[in-house]
Formats: sequence, C-alpha cells, structure tokens
Amino acid sequence: MRLELRGITKRFGSLTANDEISITVEPGQIHSLLGENGAGKSTLMNVLFGLLHPDEGEIVIDGVVTKFADSGEAVRRGIGMVHQHFMLVPVFSVTENVVLGFEPTKSLNRIDYKKATDDIRRVSKEFNLEVDPDAIVENLSVGIQQRVEILKALSHDAELLILDEPTAVLTPQEIDALMAIMRSLAASGKSILFITHKLKEVRAIADVITVIRHGNVVGTAEPTATESELATMMVGREVELTVRKDAYTPGETVFEIRDLVVRDDRGLVVVNGVSLDVYAGEILALAGVQGNGQTELVEAIAGMRPVESGTITMNGRDITNESPRKILDAGLGHIPEDRQRDGLVLTMSVADNLVLNTPRRAPFANHGTRNLGVVTSHAEQLVRDFDIRTTSVNEPVSSLSGGNQQKVIVARELSRNIDFLVASQPTRGLDVGSIEYVHRQIVIHRNRGNGSLVVSSELDEVYALGDRIAVMYAGRISGIVDPSTSREDIGLLMAGTTVGNTSD
Amino acid sequence: MTLTSQNSVVVTVLALILGFAVGALIIIFTTATILDAFRGFFNSWGAPGHAFKVTFDNVGAAYRDMFTGSVVDPAGFWHSLTTGKGWDNTLTPISETLTYATPLVIVSVGVGISFQTGLFNIGANGQAVLGGIAGAVVGSMIKLPMFLHLPLTLIAGILGGALAGALPGVLKAYTGAHEVIVTIMENYVIYAFLLYVVLSTPYQQPGQANDIGRTIHASAQLPPIFGAGSGLRVSYGIFVAAGVVAFAWWFLERSSLGFDFRVTGASPTAARASGISPRAVIILVFLISGGLAGLAGIVQVASTTHYVDGTFLIGDAGIGFTAITVALLGRNKPIGILWASLLFGALGVGGRAMQAATGIPFDLATVIQSVVVLFVATPVLVKEIFRLRAGRTQALQLGTQGWG
Amino acid sequence: MMSIAETPLLLSISARRGNTRTKVIGAIMIVLAIFVIVFFALGSPAGAHSQLTFDPVNTTDSPIRLGTLTVLTRWWNLILGIAMLGLGVEVFWRQPRRGVMVRFGGVAVLMLLALLFWAVRTPGPSQVSFVNLTSIFVGSSEVVMVLIFGALSGVMCERSGVVNIAIEGQFIAGAFIGSIVASETNNFFYAAVVGAIAGGLIGLVLAFFAIRYLVDQIIVGIVIVTGIDFFSAYLNLQVFTPYPNLNVGNFAPNLPIPLLYKIPIVGPLFFNQSGFFYCMVIFVALVSFALFKTRYGLHVRAVGEHPQAAATVGINVARIRYINVVLGGAIAGIGGVAFMASQGQFIPDYTSGFGYIALAAMIFGRWRPSGAVVASIIFGMTVYLAANLQEFSVPISGEILQMFPYLITIAVVAGLIGRVRPPAADGKPYIRD
Repeated sequence: MRLELRGITKRFGSLTANDEISITVEPGQIHSLLGENGAGKSTLMNVLFGLLHPDEGEIVIDGVVTKFADSGEAVRRGIGMVHQHFMLVPVFSVTENVVLGFEPTKSLNRIDYKKATDDIRRVSKEFNLEVDPDAIVENLSVGIQQRVEILKALSHDAELLILDEPTAVLTPQEIDALMAIMRSLAASGKSILFITHKLKEVRAIADVITVIRHGNVVGTAEPTATESELATMMVGREVELTVRKDAYTPGETVFEIRDLVVRDDRGLVVVNGVSLDVYAGEILALAGVQGNGQTELVEAIAGMRPVESGTITMNGRDITNESPRKILDAGLGHIPEDRQRDGLVLTMSVADNLVLNTPRRAPFANHGTRNLGVVTSHAEQLVRDFDIRTTSVNEPVSSLSGGNQQKVIVARELSRNIDFLVASQPTRGLDVGSIEYVHRQIVIHRNRGNGSLVVSSELDEVYALGDRIAVMYAGRISGIVDPSTSREDIGLLMAGTTVGNTSD
Repeated sequence: MTLTSQNSVVVTVLALILGFAVGALIIIFTTATILDAFRGFFNSWGAPGHAFKVTFDNVGAAYRDMFTGSVVDPAGFWHSLTTGKGWDNTLTPISETLTYATPLVIVSVGVGISFQTGLFNIGANGQAVLGGIAGAVVGSMIKLPMFLHLPLTLIAGILGGALAGALPGVLKAYTGAHEVIVTIMENYVIYAFLLYVVLSTPYQQPGQANDIGRTIHASAQLPPIFGAGSGLRVSYGIFVAAGVVAFAWWFLERSSLGFDFRVTGASPTAARASGISPRAVIILVFLISGGLAGLAGIVQVASTTHYVDGTFLIGDAGIGFTAITVALLGRNKPIGILWASLLFGALGVGGRAMQAATGIPFDLATVIQSVVVLFVATPVLVKEIFRLRAGRTQALQLGTQGWG
Repeated sequence: MMSIAETPLLLSISARRGNTRTKVIGAIMIVLAIFVIVFFALGSPAGAHSQLTFDPVNTTDSPIRLGTLTVLTRWWNLILGIAMLGLGVEVFWRQPRRGVMVRFGGVAVLMLLALLFWAVRTPGPSQVSFVNLTSIFVGSSEVVMVLIFGALSGVMCERSGVVNIAIEGQFIAGAFIGSIVASETNNFFYAAVVGAIAGGLIGLVLAFFAIRYLVDQIIVGIVIVTGIDFFSAYLNLQVFTPYPNLNVGNFAPNLPIPLLYKIPIVGPLFFNQSGFFYCMVIFVALVSFALFKTRYGLHVRAVGEHPQAAATVGINVARIRYINVVLGGAIAGIGGVAFMASQGQFIPDYTSGFGYIALAAMIFGRWRPSGAVVASIIFGMTVYLAANLQEFSVPISGEILQMFPYLITIAVVAGLIGRVRPPAADGKPYIRD
C-alpha cells in the first residue's frame, strides 16, 4: 500500500509529541523512522495504528483519507504492527495468539482450531517463518516470539508492516535473519516502516530514512549517509560517539563470581555456572541479548534473588546470599534494570529517593528518627552536582523525565561511598544527552580506581564502556574478549558459539 | 502513599454532601409514611406539596435528630449558657461522640498504617475482640493497685491484638498468603473463640449461664473525666487516643521504620532493592496494626461496658470495619483519621439517637458512611457530579492488587 | 504497579521457601495422621464397632437398599490413619511439584471420616451409632452448591481481570430480595431471576468504580460488602419486622428426576435436588464451555492475561470486563437465593463468610470451573461436618468446631499462594493510553 501521513499532530497537555509530521511510504519500500528516545516515534506509531487519535492531520492510504476508530480497524485496513514489547499472551499457544480477535468459528461460537492452525501453517510457509502452532508462547525464545508477532500481522493480511524497535532483543545473527525477512516481505510488495534509534541498522536495511527529533521531521536521508551525519540530524548537534577514558591500568581483583548457579521465578536454572573477575579501575561490560540470565545474575549480586550455589565476593568479602541491606552497606552500588520499578519510588519526593538506599545512616537519621533537614540539603547538593533538572527536591520523582530519573539513581549511587558498581541497562530508553551523561559518570567512577560491571544488550554501549567484554549466553559466559574484537565475533558469542578467549 | 488530589478537602466535603443525599433517598424510599404520601401524589392539587412536606419533615427530622444526638442541641446549649445549669445534658451528645470515637481513632490509625504499607488489614475487628478479651481477663481476674493494673490491662489488650495480627503477618511474610482472606477468616475464628471464652471458660461471669464475661475491677477501668455522677461518659481514654495519634504521626513522618513502611507501600520492588526486608516489614505492620486494634478493644471495654460479652464488637458495633472506612476517609494519615473518626463517631452516635427518636434504624448511618467513603475514594466521580474542573486527581490505589 | 504473577517480592520469598513450605505441609499431614492413629484408632476400645450406611434418609425413595456395613472401629481408623500417613510422607519426602494441596485436602477428608467413625463407635457416648454417608453427602450439598455459585462468580470476574470481593454482598442481596419475591410468589424461578438482577446490579457498581474510575478493586469490594451488610440489617428491621410474611423460606422443594433418583448414593445426591442445584450444574457446564471453547471465552481470557494485547486487536477490554463482572454478580446473586431457600428465613449475617470461602475455592480450583467444583466439595463437606459434629457427642465444644471451616480456608490459602497462577492481569486496572 502507499501510506501517507500528512501533518499529524498529537499533544498531551502542554507537550507536543508530534508536530505536523508528514511521511510517505511507497509499496515495497523499507522506510526507516530514525529518532532518539523521546523523539515521538512511539506516539506516531500509536496514531498510525489506531491506538491514539491525532489532534490534527490525516492518514491517507492509497489515496483515500482514512480514520481509525481503534486498532482493530487499523488491522482490518491492512496495517500490521510488531510491537517493541510483544502483544502476545504468554499463557496462550501460538495459534490462540495469532487468531485472537479474528478467530474462525464453528457453530455455537466455538473456535475452529483446525482451520486456524491450517491457516497459520500456510502463512508460515508462504513467508518462511517457521513456528510450531501449538507451542505455548512463554516457552519460546524471544526471537521466535517476534516471529509470532510478525506472523500475527501477516495473517491479518497486512499490507504495511510497522516494526517498532525490533532489534533490541535480538542477537546479531537474529538481526540478520530479521533483515532477510524484511527484504523478502518488501520484495513481495509489502511496505515496511522500521522504527529505530540504531544508526548501524538503519544504514544496513533502509531504502529511505526519515529523521525525527523532538516531535518534528528534520529531514530525510539516504542510507549512504554516515553515522555521524545521521547522529547529528537525530540529536541536533555534534555527538560524541565514543566515550573518552583514561588509560587502562587494571589493579587487583575487587569483585569475583565463581560457579554461580541461580534459578528464575519458575524454578529453571538461568545462571548456569558463571565465573567472572573484575579488576580495580576497570569496567567489565557484560554483553548479551536479554533473557540469557543477565537479569537474574544482577539480582543475585544485589541480594534480591537467592543463589543456589557458587560464590560472590566483593573486596574479599563473601556477599553470597546476604540481604540487600548488607550488600549495599558493604559498598555495592546498584543501578537497576527497571528504574521505575526497582530504582525509584515514583510517588515519593526526589529528596527521599536520593537517600533511598541509606535512610538510616547518619546524618540522615539518628536513632531511628530522620533528620529531614539534612536529607533536604543533601538532596539539593546532589541536584546541583549532578545537574538533575527538577523544580524542587520535594517534587515527586515521577514528574521528572526519564533521563533525569536515571540521573537521580546515578547520583544516589555514586555519591555514597561505594566500591563496586553494578549497572544494568543503564541507558535504556534515554535520550542521547542523558546517555552521554550516564556514561561519563560511570567512567569517572572507573577512573578513580573502582571496579564496575555494566550489563547491556546495546553493543554500542558495550564497546564504548568496556575495558573487557564478557558475553553471556544461556546462563554461561561464552567468552571474555577485549574491545578490539569484531562485532561478528561478539555476535557469534552472543549466539552461543565459543570463540577463543583473547583475554581473561 | 499520597493521594494526588489537589482539592482533597473540597472533595471530602462534597462526598459528604453526596453521602447525606443518598441517605435521604434511602429514608424516602423506605419510610412508609413518605411512600404513602407519594402514592397519593396525583390525587389532589395539594397532594404533591403535602408529599414533599412529609418528605422534608421526615428526612429533616432524622438528620436533625442525628445532629442534636451527636453534637449539641442548640436550644439546650443556649439554655445552659444563659442559666449556667444543665451542662450535663447539653454536653452529653458530644461526650457520647467522643466516647464512641475514642476506640475508633485508635483502631483506625492502626488500619491506616497497614494501608500505607500496602497491606489490607481487614481483620482489625477480630484483633480488637481478641485484645478486648485479653485485657478483660487481666482486668477482671487479678487484683492490683490501679497504677499497675490499668497499664497492665491496656498492655494485655495490645498484646492480644498483636497476637491476632501475627497470624496474617507471618503467613503473608513466609507464604505470601493473601491477607484479605486470612484476616477475614480469622475474624470468624475469633468470634467463635469469643463465644467459647465467655461460655466455657473460667472467664465467664460467675453465676451466669449466658455469654457474659466478668466485670473488670475498678482498678483497671478508664474512669470518666467528669466523674461518674455527671452522666458524661467521655473517659480518660481520649488521652490514650490522642497519644496514639501523636505517636502514629511521628512514626510515619519522622521515624526511619515508618519511612520503610511507606516505601514498601509505595513500591515493594524498590523497597526490596533498596535493602528493606519485606518479611520484617510485613510482620511488623501486622503486629503494630493488630496491637493498636487490640488497644482499641480494651479501651472500649475499660471505658464503657467494663465487661465483654458474646456480642462484643459484633455487627453494628464492629469498629474494626468502620475503621476501614474511617482510614480511607482520612486518607490513611493520622491527622485525617482523627477528623474522620470524629465525623463517623458522630454519625454512629447520631444514628442511634435518630433511631430512638424516629425509629429509622441506626444502620442507615453506616450506609451513609459507606457511600461517603466510596465517593472519597473516587474523586473523579465527585468532580464529575459537581462539574468541578478536574485537577491532577487519582483514584485511591493501594500497593498490592490481586492475590499476589 | 506490579503484577501479581511476577511479584518479585513474594516470588522470591516463595522460591526460597518453596521446598520448605512443602515440607511443612507434609509434616502437618504426618502429625494429623499420627493424631488419628493414636486417638481414633488406638483410642477406640478393641471390640468397638461403627456402622457405615448408605441408605437414604427417606427409605421409600429407594427400593434398593445397600444395608449397613459394620466395621471394627480400631482397625478401620488404623487403615485411614495409615493412608493419611502415606500421603503425608509422600509429600514430605518426594515433594511433588503439583497436587500438594489436593493431597492435603484428601488428608483432611480422611481425618474427618475417622473422627466420625470414632464418634459413633458402640459402645460409646454417642446416641447415634452409624455414619450415613448418603445423608452426609446430601446434607453438605447445600453448602457445596452455594460455594460453587460463589466460586463460579469469582472465576467469571477474575478471568477477565477483576477481583470480586463483593461476592458475600451479592449473596446477601440476592437472598434478601429473593426471599421477598419468593414469599409473594412462592416460585423459585422468579426468586432466582430477581436474585440474579440484584447480584448483577452490585456487580455493575463494582465494575463501574473499578473500570471507569480505576478505584482499587479490593477497596470497592470491601466497602460494598460493608455497606450491604448494614443495609440488609437496616432493611431487615424496616421490612421484615413489620411484614414477616415477606420472609418465608423453604420455597424450593426437591425435584426428583424419575427413576434416576432411586440409584443408591448417587441418586439422592444428584437427581433429587432443588431447582437451584440443577441450575448450578448447568451453569458450571456453560461457563466451562464458554471460557475454553468459544471466541468469547478466548477474548475474556486474553483480557484477563494481557489486556493491552487484546486491545490492539480491537477487543473492547472495558466492555468484556463489565459483561463478565455483571454476569458473575448475577450468578452470585442466584447463589444467595439458593442458600436462603434451603435455610428458611433470611437472617442478617447468615452467610457468615461463605463468600470468601468461595474465593478460596476458586483459587484452589485454579480459576477453572471444574477445579472450583472439586474445591467447593472439599470445603463444603468440611463446613457441614464441622457444623454437625455436635450430634455425635464429639467432645469438642461447639464454638471451637465452628472455627474449623475458617481455619481450613486459611490453611489452604497459605499453602497455595505462590504455587498457583492467577490470570496475569487480575486485579490490575486497565488504563487506556
């Protein structure tokens, strides 16, 4: 289909998320929408998919102005969406998920599962997307789940496929496979709208790139543009794509994990004998696609998840299975993966959040009574030092932007006397400015001679920060290499093949 | 947790108006004389006016009786002011309200603390009963001088309530059992236990075959402030209540443990990540909340009836359930709860007075309470009804949901 | 706000303690088994015997009589005790991942049976010398029926993601209005319809506040129940006291199905029941079918697990929740009428917590109608037996016996949480972007 967005505007109160956005996608074209986090891409997609109604502007499909009452109608008109966070019901089977909302029925409103399954197999074959229709979705790997999402869209006869940040959860090999699928879909006449903030991918796959920034279209580009050209368009200024670090002079081991075994919430082993060392003055970056045990590993380190066997040692002290309180007091700094869930209390003030990990320590409290004056002045100090944008330290932290919320967490952790920092996906969902800022802070911590473990599924970040890079796959460390290793090799490690270790 | 409503006082007042309006409707639809008057609505030209007059008279009388029964009768007040006599009668309604509100404040503060931590303590009534039993046993079966006996009795009440609170607390902390079902079930268990105690144990009043327990000795009672002869029942219990409110305020706003409680209520995940032990918090919350409920129970006994019987706190005297609505009305904060208790105390006492005067059952007052609380918990609805501009309001949410 | 199934707070607690908790349950089972063996088996004199009979109470109902089985109390209870011991040891030792609470339920039932046999032993203090299983089944079927109505209501609501704490209130409302209508019309069908409307209206209120205004569902439920509790007491005085003729119960006589009802044991239990019972059976079948086989059911379950995903394919989340909560309320309302029909008059507070026990049965039954039925049977029999043990001169005071159903509910809930998965979006308000 030929899709045109003309002058789409969407406001949320005083915030204009989309400002007169116009884009054209031709049939058979892979059109990429490039913008950093917070630029307005998701809002635009929700408008296109019928989940939001635009305040101004029109959607034109094959020359006809169209309005969607809800996303069901968008689907019926041929728009399919592969969401960033999958819209799949975990306990349902593949078949149930694919037919949801469009179920073939027999008498008495019964679902005709036989027909449904046959249809799925047919579409599956047609587009070369192998899935087992009877599998339960939550048991499938993330890559296969994504395939189910795509299958779902295709089985509704989508002519335009929107893919929202699809590569965040994929290994480099899986990304290649996805790109092959996209190319073949485009070749068969489907239009593809591919949303991302990743410069490398955009250059690899897009036919046309539209760059959006702060709700506006700033221009289009060819895939032949350089990364720094694209980055500049995306952010509006020159961007430092690398982080400057002092020379790498590792000291003695400050953090050690030996043969760690941890189970997940369902009782399955997800950390299967992990061993790591981190030296003073170094950042060990742990790369790997999400879902290979990194989340549970960090939770185990922070004391939030029980360790079945193995040891964790920090500064010579065994902290395995200690309580989070003791571990934090012993000198661990923790930037959690889900900042809104684990890192902050959204309804409480910025000041309270800034002492969240140490509310009882003097001078914040005295024999069980809090010293609110000290808490406030401490908070004001940190707001100045770490450039946290907030109207007052007594504002609830929920009123801060994502970037500033993360600054609160970073400020809190780095301002108390910690020895070792564990940061999990520290720049997820942040705009470029905040990303630069967080990276800078972590490097400062490292430059002072402290050790850090940074867990990230963004390869750019891994390369930028890591003095050494460890790769995790299926609960094990598949290799520890230095940053000169190629992306292909790291990709292989992320997919499970072991390459010879070039450093340990 | 905080309710981010900008005009919470306004919302509360409006919710009250709505509650009374609903109450009026209920009176209209269930009073025979009013219905009869409306049946003849179209009979004659004067009939509608008559119907409205009857309505107005009845509803007005009901609410007027409520007011004079719970706060003050203006005529009587004026009389006492001018002649200096009859103060006992004039002050009785307020005294009754305070007497009713005293244990209510204590238990509601406890419930409010649990709600602020994201835990639903629906068992406050049972905990109050157990505390009342424990205190009454200590108060009636041993003899000690008052300066020892009274504190000991009160402490026994606290311990009894805390013991009752320990069960849901421990179960939730160690098995995750949802406290709503456990506490509700525990209420029924304790009611059965109450009957057992007053019928089948030495605590039963000697010489009685009925379900009445022993009377506590004078050394364990909370005497009325103005002396037994004045007819004003308000007791020294109000100092206990005031102390509880002050303690709760300090605890939640200024103490480190209270901070931990509030963090846990606002975000259990962040609480755990930041080092708070969820188990410890859960158990402590139920111990404190239960202990306060138990204290309320014994204060009730020690200041009013001086004995426990088979109907103690059952049904319409169930302050543990009123406490839930009071806590919600007071937005779980001690000062708010204080005002809410006075208000609902007045409703309760006024309801009884209304019943005595007009025959409308006292339970109407509790229905009004429920309606008010429902509206308070839904500020958006109140604003829609009154067409206020919506501020940044948010419906009342507590920390946990479902069976987690 | 976090979701229930992935609450790290509690799942880490239970993950850490999963095996310990199973061991604790197993240990309790073993202790109960030993108790039975010591007190009910060895505690019976050597020559004592108990009688077990299956004859229906009304002997003209059944031409087939199975007669009476006489057993030596001591040996019989010993067998029961050993069976309990076996189950307990299995749980403690092997720690099976699934079915622990079912085994626990089995132990509870066996223990009650042993208690009964011991109580009716001859020579012994009891007036009654036999255990009539048929009358126990039939007698407990009233309570079981109410619990099934309640649990079914819970399933309907929670499968779509809304927690219905107000079942107790729906029982009361249904019973109250139903009794008025029944007294006037003497017709169980009209009463049932009116009860359904009453329960449905309450469901509508719950849905309204929870879905449209996003008020916490548990708060709304509790406030509603408290309000109805007092409202019914109020109406009881306003209506029933001046007009007692509106409060006549017992209007649902048994409707025996010809021929089938004469089958021993099964006959009186399944084929000689009130219209409400047959209703219940139909409802269970209907809800099961609808939830798991139809399009509508798939939509409901999707809404209860991942409302966002349902919304993106065009399913109207709010509408489905409204429908389910109102239907669920209606079912509970009928349950209230049903219970009152068997009890006689409407008395305030007569439901004494059954609405909550029904919720526990729903959890035990893992949010499936079939499971809810099994759970309700176990809970219902326990309630019935605890209430009727008095007849057998069991030397436990009546008040303590009253506690049993509630204690068992607590035990079940404590044993189950963390091992069962509610619908993932259960209790979470759905906020449209």
